[in-house]
Amino acid sequence: MMSSGVAAYAQVNATTRALYATLLTPETWHALIQAPDFAALLGQLEKTAYHPYLKLDRQILTPRRTVYQLRWHLTHGYEKLIRLTPEPGRQLISQLWRLYEVDNLKATLRGIETGASWDEVRRLLSPMSHDVTLTNDTLQRMLTSGSIVRAIERIRHTPYYDTLIHAVARYETEKNLFPLEVALDLDYRRGLWQSIHRLKGTDYEQALRLVGTSIDVDNLLWAIRYRAYHHLSAQEIINYTLPFGYQVRDSDIRAIATDADINALIKRIYPHLEGLEEVPEPIDEGISSPQRYLAALERALHRHIITMCRGTFLGNPFHIGVQLAYLMLLEYELRDLIAIVEAKASQLPVDRLASIIHRE
Amino acid sequence: MFKPQAMDKVELIIPEHEVIQTTEALAASGIFHPIPPTPMALGGPAHPDEEWQKWTADLVTLERRILLVMEEFNIDAGPPPATPPHIIEPRVAERDIERLEHEAEIPVHELEAARRRLTQLQKYVDQLAPIADLDVDLGVLRDLHYTYVLLGSMPVANIERLESSLEHIPFVLIPLRREVHFATVILLGLQRDADVLNRAARSAYLNPLLPPEDYRGTPAQAMAAIQAGMERTRQRIAEYEMEIARLHEMRVRHLRHLLWRVRATHALAHTISGYDYLQHTYLVTGWVPRALHARLEQEVARVSDKVVIATLEPGAEDSGRIPAALNNPPWLKGFQSLVTTYGQPGYDELDPTPIMALTFPLVFGLMFGDVGHGLLLLLVGLLLASRKIRALQSVAGFGVVIAFCGASATLFGALYGSVFGFEDVFAAVWFRPLEKITDILLFAIAVGAVLLSLGITYNIINAALRQQWGHLLFNRNGLAGLIFYWSLLGMAARAFGVAIPIPNVVLVILAISAGIALTFAEFLAHLIERRRPLLDEDAGTYIALAFFELFEAVISLFSNTLSYVRMGAFAVAHGALSLVVFIIAQVLGAPGSVGYWIVVVLGNLFVIGFEGMIVGIQTLRLEYYELFSKFFSGGGIPYQPLSLIPKRGTLNVPENAGG
Repeated sequence: MMSSGVAAYAQVNATTRALYATLLTPETWHALIQAPDFAALLGQLEKTAYHPYLKLDRQILTPRRTVYQLRWHLTHGYEKLIRLTPEPGRQLISQLWRLYEVDNLKATLRGIETGASWDEVRRLLSPMSHDVTLTNDTLQRMLTSGSIVRAIERIRHTPYYDTLIHAVARYETEKNLFPLEVALDLDYRRGLWQSIHRLKGTDYEQALRLVGTSIDVDNLLWAIRYRAYHHLSAQEIINYTLPFGYQVRDSDIRAIATDADINALIKRIYPHLEGLEEVPEPIDEGISSPQRYLAALERALHRHIITMCRGTFLGNPFHIGVQLAYLMLLEYELRDLIAIVEAKASQLPVDRLASIIHRE
Repeated sequence: MFKPQAMDKVELIIPEHEVIQTTEALAASGIFHPIPPTPMALGGPAHPDEEWQKWTADLVTLERRILLVMEEFNIDAGPPPATPPHIIEPRVAERDIERLEHEAEIPVHELEAARRRLTQLQKYVDQLAPIADLDVDLGVLRDLHYTYVLLGSMPVANIERLESSLEHIPFVLIPLRREVHFATVILLGLQRDADVLNRAARSAYLNPLLPPEDYRGTPAQAMAAIQAGMERTRQRIAEYEMEIARLHEMRVRHLRHLLWRVRATHALAHTISGYDYLQHTYLVTGWVPRALHARLEQEVARVSDKVVIATLEPGAEDSGRIPAALNNPPWLKGFQSLVTTYGQPGYDELDPTPIMALTFPLVFGLMFGDVGHGLLLLLVGLLLASRKIRALQSVAGFGVVIAFCGASATLFGALYGSVFGFEDVFAAVWFRPLEKITDILLFAIAVGAVLLSLGITYNIINAALRQQWGHLLFNRNGLAGLIFYWSLLGMAARAFGVAIPIPNVVLVILAISAGIALTFAEFLAHLIERRRPLLDEDAGTYIALAFFELFEAVISLFSNTLSYVRMGAFAVAHGALSLVVFIIAQVLGAPGSVGYWIVVVLGNLFVIGFEGMIVGIQTLRLEYYELFSKFFSGGGIPYQPLSLIPKRGTLNVPENAGG
């Protein structure tokens, strides 16, 4: 098993290690956070692995365009590792990559709903050049169709059609994208879960640990958000969440749906979760600031995932976990970078940034 | 042929009111390569004329709208017109498109609605089918007092979740029909729990499908009524389809013409918005082949006598940015494609296409020598090149490559005495590789040494063309490298007993001198090119690095040369594989029997297809990695004359500067 893992992962691991070395260092993060303005931030970014993507005239590099350009780095990271990773791990990475396609689809549907032009929508999308079902051309055709129903008809031959066409009946009744987006989210994660279960041995264990935890966190946050923000019934919360996970069980989700003490539940699932002390007091129906609570909890959980990903680079490297960990770290890096770009563009004070980004 | 065409840098000063016809003339000439828009022109404050940029943006939207109408009428874009169509103002195009959209709106929307209705009615039928035998009025199901009933379809993946969400109340969920993604289900519960059941069902995407109240009676009666409705809907769909077909016939030419006019106008507006603008005049800079310079002036003079064309001296900013118009005859285009697949030749370097055309068939033939196989490849290549097979017209250029390889394989086949694997039909003009394996391997190394030397010579010429004298003299692929390589080869040959007409001491002196030059290449190059500082690092680091670089150069030359051994090995393998075919044929049938000949024919086809492909890949590998890497970097700019009939996607501003 070990020898076959070595043979299969030799090349992709060498590449992943090289890519891992290009992740931003703590010194670079410090410089980025301390950059006095957006122009200075661009200057700092030009010293990083994102430099090739920012070789555009400064007048073109608006904050929105900058975010779009930065996303190319993640795109190329995914495309490279999808190409190099052996099957069936490749399928899992492709499925992970599909999240961005789902996000692009959601952004396009929102664009149709708000009557946005293609020029407004296209820079909000994640760039994708390979391994993609919904090309920019397809998304543009959806947008210009002018209605959600017609837009969905335009992707009849894609895997998203069946998911959306059934949810569109509710959209037509409620005139709200929520049911469409939830259907896409659930379908995407079901696919992810199936991809994990196609793996075997160490690959399976590592994928379950990393991607499973990521699914857990999403599921947990959805359930809490549906209860605290949307005040949905227990039946709705259960139907809008997933019955599977790595550490978060279906019974945990049901407990949240039926008014259990959320903080106690979190402490039971993640007894060693760091940063939980920063999370405000328990949430309940009368909570004054669920937003603050959720933001703090989300940050603590994401930091937990980041720590797990970093730990994957220690010990036996010949499994899919190394690629998954790198890609997840890159995703968090990009999320933080986008937060910094937006903060600098809106002249947010430096001390406020710490509460927005995931790294400490 | 060996160098890209000489180019002139020209600047045109165009009066504002003549910019359209001049740009059209430039495009019609097919020889003017505009320099891409400068950052200033891309929306900077110095470009006051934003009208063209607005045109560009509007025309993109208009093109999309035309394509949508065309899609609705099942019309494709058709082939590009032979000559650029007249431009069209966006507002004129928009009026036209609005009229066409209006024309399409009613039949297309009605057709879509009718199709949706047909699907919906089909769902009702599917849903009622499992309960078709029930002798219960559907109205009863709608008006139950104590029982809540929900009949509908839902994703199969959600069934389990719906059941578990309702575990605290009494209910029954019965799947009536299961398909791949969806299931028709009936959900029964208490009327007092209707709200909970409804919320749960809705959140599990259970879409109620109980037929509208118009459909009364038992399920069987309702199904009959629905099927009658389906028949009526089908008739309506046929009518709308006929209407759309009629519109297709009426509008096909008009829509295609409009599409290409909009595309041409978009290309024009995009081009003009990239020009620099100065006081009611446009400044356009670009490149034109020197031999065609006069023609460009004539083309422009035909539409305007006020346009000033000046020839500029290329400046330092043009270094490495001059487009390379490759100058090869049509029959070399296939080889040129192989070169540009690796990289685009630069303006100030030799075009590798001729050397590729010479060495590729040579290397292929050496590995694949067989008169029969070669003649077959030659025929296939000629057939492809003749463009007689319509489906393969796009690869006609490679037909010439295959034909050359076939001719070379035929020639080597004659030298090896092999025809379709038979080695006893005629005597080898030279020798049979299987019988003299050492000889063929040594010959392959010799050919490799010649090819590597050719690559280094090309690099020396390129350095001379660029006036990089330090690189020419001291680089490992320069003169010092060539002397070093040949003196080492000479000493090695002598060690193997080959008579060399140069004394050994001369070879040693040459090798040491060249080795020293290679070791201190950076220092010497800086010295003769008067660049300072003489060393980029401190002396200690430099000497340590230089030593390792010399060591690496020796290893590299050694491995590059040995890499060509594979040519000999493949020549042997080709003979051996043919031998295997005959052994299998003899096992399956006596020589001359039907079984024997079937195996021989199939075996030969296998050798041609499978081994031919592998040899082709190996040849390409030797060309790209062993030969091209000596002199060709491939960072040139292709010569792309302005055209108003763009290929799809060529007008997009590169989104990803990082590649």
